[in-house]
Amino acid sequence: MKNESEKQLSEKVEITDGCWKKIGVWGNEKVRCPKLDTVIHCRNCIIFTQVGRNLLDRELSQEYRDEWTKVMATKKEEELFNTISVVIFRIEQEWLSIRTKVFAEVINPENLHSHSLPHRHNPVLIGIINIRGEIQLCVSLKDLLGIEGYSTKKNSSKSYKRMMVMDKNDEKWVFPIDEIHGIHRVHPNTFQNVPVTVAKAQATFTKGIFKWNDKHVAFMDDDLLLFSLTKSVQ
Amino acid sequence: MLVLLFYIKDVMYTVKCDRVREIAPIVNLKDVPHSPEYFAGYFNYRGTIVPVIDLCRLIRGSLCRIRLSSRIILVDYKNEGGKSNILGLLAERVTETVMKPDNAFVQPSIRSEDAPFLGGIVMEQGEMIQYIDLDLLPDCVHFLPDEDNGINDSDQN
Repeated sequence: MKNESEKQLSEKVEITDGCWKKIGVWGNEKVRCPKLDTVIHCRNCIIFTQVGRNLLDRELSQEYRDEWTKVMATKKEEELFNTISVVIFRIEQEWLSIRTKVFAEVINPENLHSHSLPHRHNPVLIGIINIRGEIQLCVSLKDLLGIEGYSTKKNSSKSYKRMMVMDKNDEKWVFPIDEIHGIHRVHPNTFQNVPVTVAKAQATFTKGIFKWNDKHVAFMDDDLLLFSLTKSVQ
Repeated sequence: MLVLLFYIKDVMYTVKCDRVREIAPIVNLKDVPHSPEYFAGYFNYRGTIVPVIDLCRLIRGSLCRIRLSSRIILVDYKNEGGKSNILGLLAERVTETVMKPDNAFVQPSIRSEDAPFLGGIVMEQGEMIQYIDLDLLPDCVHFLPDEDNGINDSDQN
């Protein structure tokens, strides 16, 4: 039954070749196709569909076959899923990264001056800083992580190249960094474990190490980082 | 369940989609002399050599017409050893899929001995479409790499 009706249809299609351009929705002729009352638009019409199908019944060229033979022979590249977006930055010689989710902004420190707090001799707490009209704590990740600087000169807030703002649950922390690379995506499988022999405090904050441009970048545990920051400034 | 519709000559057939791995366009097939006529040839599917069966030749006895809409249906199957393999099925007008409830599949009461994979029926708007049982099909094709393991071995070497 179906075959017969299809055969009839395909015959009809030849008769009404391009009917959608004449009496259909794309046509200008005064006589409208009676089918439009029921199907509303030509794309719902079985004649239009059938002509579209006929396009697929064309012979295929040898070039097409050759091309697809090549495509099918190559291995599918597997895309990495569940990658984590991280912000990569540098403090002294150490490349570090935090999740982009907890990263707020980078500020050019030229117009910023951190205000030291009197009667506080905590190396981690640099002072307070005015970020867009709000007073935030300015801390030194360098001191918290115990990164040793190669330059021994006593630093003032001016000598820092950038200020990075971290924001988690509306809790903002500002810290100076020496360089920022930007946002990068890494897959958790590429993380290498931190060597257990590393005794630096930095190691405890590091969830893993990944390679980026021939450099080893430490991926920081932001929960622990914020917790320690809060502890250390109290 | 999603089923894939295709044609062998002018008759519509279907397979269940749960075993279908990929639909590939017609590619250059490496034919093998002295192989059964329904065997269309081998092709390099992403690094593995996959045998392709011409369903039109197997079921209707005429070669599959080479058109843009004729495609190779790549299905997964397990051989007797339980190793999973890929088989290519060449069919015409492989352009459509439809959703079918599980109760639309009617098990055949009679089976042909030569083609036990045929005979299952899906009801589609009162019409009957035969579906090809992918569990039974590989057993009927006695020209597959698991018979002698020759192809898999040479592929690894």
